[in-house]
Amino acid sequence: MFQNRAEALALALPAAIFAAVVFLLPVAILLSEGFRSDGAWTLAAYTDFFSQTLNRTVFFRTFRLGLEVTAVSAIIGYAAAFAIVNLPPKGKGRMIGLVTLPLMISPVARTYAWIVILGRTGIVNEAITGLGLSAEPLRLLFTETAVFIGLLQLFLPLMILSLISALENMPKDAIPAARVLGANWFQVFRKVILPLTREGLVVGGTLVFTGSLTAYITPAILGGSKVLMLETLMYQQVSVANNFVSASVIAFILIVMSFAANILLKRLATARNRR
Amino acid sequence: MKKALIASVALVALFPLGAAAQERTLTISVYAFAQDDYKTIVYDPFEAKCGCKLVVETGNSVERLAKMEANKANPVVDLAAVSMADGLAASRAGLIDKIDTSKLENFSRLYDVAKDPNGDGMSVGYTFYATSIAYRSDKMKIESWADLLKPEYVGHVAFPNVTTNQGPPALYMLGLALGKDTPDLKAPIEALGEKKDEIVTFYEKSSQLVQLMQQEEIWAAPIGRFSWAGFTKLDLPVAWATPKEGQTGGMNVLVMTKGSKNQDLALQFMDFWLSTDVQTKLAEKLIDSPANKEVKVSDKVANNITYGEDTAKNLKLIPSAAALDNRNGWLKEWNEKVGQ
Repeated sequence: MFQNRAEALALALPAAIFAAVVFLLPVAILLSEGFRSDGAWTLAAYTDFFSQTLNRTVFFRTFRLGLEVTAVSAIIGYAAAFAIVNLPPKGKGRMIGLVTLPLMISPVARTYAWIVILGRTGIVNEAITGLGLSAEPLRLLFTETAVFIGLLQLFLPLMILSLISALENMPKDAIPAARVLGANWFQVFRKVILPLTREGLVVGGTLVFTGSLTAYITPAILGGSKVLMLETLMYQQVSVANNFVSASVIAFILIVMSFAANILLKRLATARNRR
Repeated sequence: MKKALIASVALVALFPLGAAAQERTLTISVYAFAQDDYKTIVYDPFEAKCGCKLVVETGNSVERLAKMEANKANPVVDLAAVSMADGLAASRAGLIDKIDTSKLENFSRLYDVAKDPNGDGMSVGYTFYATSIAYRSDKMKIESWADLLKPEYVGHVAFPNVTTNQGPPALYMLGLALGKDTPDLKAPIEALGEKKDEIVTFYEKSSQLVQLMQQEEIWAAPIGRFSWAGFTKLDLPVAWATPKEGQTGGMNVLVMTKGSKNQDLALQFMDFWLSTDVQTKLAEKLIDSPANKEVKVSDKVANNITYGEDTAKNLKLIPSAAALDNRNGWLKEWNEKVGQ
């Protein structure tokens, strides 16, 4: 489109400078805090961080919950996206509208609704005691289960939307062709749908996983300090302990985890493709 | 023509005065709390009175202190409202100056506990609050802080996190009740750790508690008196406990930045804030319990704040030095025993 690269670069320059000055530079300064001690470069803050049992517990919990939310949202997401794609246009529009609706409501409001729903006198517990599944209301709030449910609801729409667009780009005859050739539904999914929609899965998976890693409000309200996650721990380090080094360590870990997830998912997708 | 001339001469004569007054600016650093009311009750009237400009910086006390420390060589803030322990922290860090209380007309009107909370002459208390237990009087009976850990109650208790302002005082009282009140709070943290799975939550925001109480998720929680009003509006029998070990609480203080060029204005502002009139208005709006003993409020107001000489005298406050010296230790102990 451009005669020479210089022109293109010149056009990109203002945006690049802006991003560098207000984003990259401050982030770099913030993150470098974690590698410096008394003017020297060191990994001491990191070894220190991982030497504490609490930090390790929180790290693995955050990682595990992120994986669980991503996996479950992929499973539910495929089913929902497949159903929506096969609806007539009018119904499809409505369903996509319904899926996007929660994204327009503040996460604070959504999370507070879960406090009511999951509470001792909430509908979940009333159903459980009403059906005689348990004599006493179950403790759901302020548990990992509550955080899991909250995160899943928060990020599932992103997965569904990514998968819908991936499924829509799939050749329409692919599934019938596979069926005609004798593949059962499981084989159709594994050998046809999954490879053809991998990009959508990668995008959705990255959004959901990084979202779960970095969400603050949901774990703070539904888990509280009984279910500390890396982000709630980071908040504690900054606003209570005034320990910016430790917070910068956590921030770095979160960034690395996000990038790693993206790279790993992309690798998985291309590996499957090559086969 | 003559009138116009006089008017213009008068205007010209007034102008430098106006400009001079405009140049004086007092910068204060306060909690980001009830700022609309503070503006009408404290800030605007003071600006009108001193003919100066008031710049208000807000934030939680950790970040405000960090900012003061960063600007130590060239202070921006002239006066700050912080917790009692943070007042001592600022003093130890050499960030604040002694307060010349002889210049404070309202100093003699303060409760004794507020006159020099840290015993170093560096701060003056402007408000204090009691911390006790709000509980469902139809479900339980609270006579001691240790009752919270009774097996029949503990599954219905929300306890403040150690990172909140209410956490350490509540732990301190629990320690007193357990008969082990060392400043490291080891015993109460350990006792809490043993019951951590049963306790509903270790709350960080007291605003959440009213909803939890309404949903019957909890029956009891140690709270500061300033969040009590919300519970009285519930359609449930909620009572304020008077445990045999007593009530605890906290105090907020005013401090003056070292090297500030506006110390005279800062003192004037401090005096204004501590005046009976301003303290009464702040109390009537249920914003701050008065540190000025001449403040008189209705029973209804008194019921919602921390009020009266007896209350003030009997609060068992954690000494600031103990809080500062042990803060990191508390967090470490808590994270080991309760946090995971």
